[in-house]
Amino acid sequence: FAGGGVGGGNDFQWCFSQVKGAIDEDVAEADIISTVEFNYSGELLATGDKGGRVVIFQREQESKNRPLSRGEYNVYSTFQSHEPEFDYLKSLEIEEKINKIRWLPQQNAAHFLLSTNDKTIKLWKISERDKRAEGYNLKDEDGRLRDPFRITTLRVPVLMPMDLMVEASPRRIFANAHTYHINSISVNSDHETYLSADDLRINLWHLEITDRSFNIVDIKPANMEELTEVITAAECHPHQCNVFVYSSSKGTIRLCDMRAAALCDRHSKFFEEPEDPSSRSFFSEIISSISDVKFSHSGRYMMTRDYLSVKVWDLNMENRPVETYQVHEYLRSKLCSLYENDCIFDKFECCWNGSDSAIMTGSYNNFFRMFDRNTRRDITLEASRENSKPRAMLKPRKVCTGGKRKKDEISVDSLDFNKKILHTAWHPKENVIAVAATNNLYIFQDKIN
Amino acid sequence: MVARGMKRKLYGSDNGGGSVWESQLQSVLDISLDKFQRDQALVEPSLLRSVLITNTLRQVQSVVKTHLSGVSFHPKLHTQPKKQPELLSTLGSIPAGHSASLCSLGVEDMEDDLMAWPSEEDLSLATAITGILNDLDAALDDDCGLSVPQRLPLASMENLPGDGRSKQNSTISHKTDGCRASILGNSSHMSNYLQEAVIDDLLLDIDTNVFEAEANSVSPCAFSFPADQLVKYLPPFSNSSAVSLTPASPPMVR
Repeated sequence: FAGGGVGGGNDFQWCFSQVKGAIDEDVAEADIISTVEFNYSGELLATGDKGGRVVIFQREQESKNRPLSRGEYNVYSTFQSHEPEFDYLKSLEIEEKINKIRWLPQQNAAHFLLSTNDKTIKLWKISERDKRAEGYNLKDEDGRLRDPFRITTLRVPVLMPMDLMVEASPRRIFANAHTYHINSISVNSDHETYLSADDLRINLWHLEITDRSFNIVDIKPANMEELTEVITAAECHPHQCNVFVYSSSKGTIRLCDMRAAALCDRHSKFFEEPEDPSSRSFFSEIISSISDVKFSHSGRYMMTRDYLSVKVWDLNMENRPVETYQVHEYLRSKLCSLYENDCIFDKFECCWNGSDSAIMTGSYNNFFRMFDRNTRRDITLEASRENSKPRAMLKPRKVCTGGKRKKDEISVDSLDFNKKILHTAWHPKENVIAVAATNNLYIFQDKIN
Repeated sequence: MVARGMKRKLYGSDNGGGSVWESQLQSVLDISLDKFQRDQALVEPSLLRSVLITNTLRQVQSVVKTHLSGVSFHPKLHTQPKKQPELLSTLGSIPAGHSASLCSLGVEDMEDDLMAWPSEEDLSLATAITGILNDLDAALDDDCGLSVPQRLPLASMENLPGDGRSKQNSTISHKTDGCRASILGNSSHMSNYLQEAVIDDLLLDIDTNVFEAEANSVSPCAFSFPADQLVKYLPPFSNSSAVSLTPASPPMVR
């Protein structure tokens, strides 16, 4: 089927909208995008990169003059969230790479987000300033203090309009609570607490309190030599503030209820699909390692991403997923090479659309895949500069797995494994998607409306 | 990064042919060991990666052990017991950091060379292999990438040989907490991190030699058995360092 057809039941067609980032062939390591996240309304889109910077894009209001053109995302704020640090005690450098950004629900005019690197989480406030006070009594217009003895009259400062300025300021710094590398943060539905997870532990924080956190999961064995499994991702339930899940390197997901005990080492539910003995190989465990877990917006399902597939689980059924989607099954026969070149350790993320009817995840060669859960149709699209004419429709891509290669198909051996799409995001309400391809951010929209 | 000396083959997902399976086993072993060694040299390897690689190595180890014990799930291999020594001498060549030269030969080549071995060598080889496996066991258990002393700060704070260390540390944690607070100028932290990471490090007798070591050298403490000790287990062959061999030359086991 041509053009689209995935994304909400109707026939949508994905079109190029915008691309952000340098065109240079030479990609600076610091510019590589490491996380992408829409806020709750979809008005703002945040990216974090390996250089520790956060760039926030804001959607322009649709103008009446051009009703058919959708709002574009333009830079709203850029700031340095994390700097490289040196841990003198352990003689280690702490990378400034932003691992995750999570927005807080908006409660006033300002926007808040949490950003984290391997060790430290920061709460940032992004606020607009479009007025300036003039006519201070104690200081001149240029800021110099006036001699108080020479002030003979008092006046009330007046607010004057000024050019819009967007300021980002760090309001809280949550540090020194993780021995291992933070892989996830997740804001709780109570809007007061959030969790952070590293390889072996999960901590629960209160947004107002920075000097302590509660450790709620600890899987560190008494003897580190016995360690065979680590935590790979964690997320709070979207509605039940006492429930969260965490995934492991062995392909299991544990759901925990914080009402049951202070320490949630004992899970309430344990999700694992029995292994298919016919497909067992030396790499079975590595490819079963879950790289991302996301609850559906409804809270009824959760989705997990492992190396070759995406699985949708019903929270009421622990023994197997309700849906399994193959992302790039043609790589199964190449696992040894992919192990050799480390690609097998790539951590792909996945995301739901606003209505939970479709899911999206990335692949190699700048391909990304979308699956419609209702029609069971899937599509492979490419994020590339060649398809970057405004409103150009994206052509579906196909990988040839054997036999004769048709025109427009690409063979498995021609795939570029350096071009990987690890981070994607779907607008919470509309069919607008953001796809991070190395140092470029692509924004695609559906053509209709 | 390439599996040194390994002829590239298309690896099918089937386990039908014994030689295909064996070459994949060899390849997985080589690649895993290479990664294992490289990660050992890093100051802070990724824990997820370390665990996955170590688990893969353990898997290979258990498969080879199963083979040795005579339980064969590959009929073709069972009829060619002489092929086993090559795989296991590969295991033996791990700590030397050299390529498992045998794997540079094609499977067909190995067969020819095997025929050249006198049969009375097989017995001594079997003994050597058992010894090597035990050593590999020890290597994996003691240094599964997670508890290398000094080089891996994450592990160095816990599980050092010396029992009771954690108990000892917790009793003095209050004192050093205050010490830590003044160093950093932060308010006192109650999290686990400080109690484990800071106190242990303060108490450790840090071996500064470790920090002077080159990043790319394999620290002798990384493996529990040095290369020269291993040599005595191996049959006396000439010690040439050639990696690529013609079928006619004697097989390398280092």
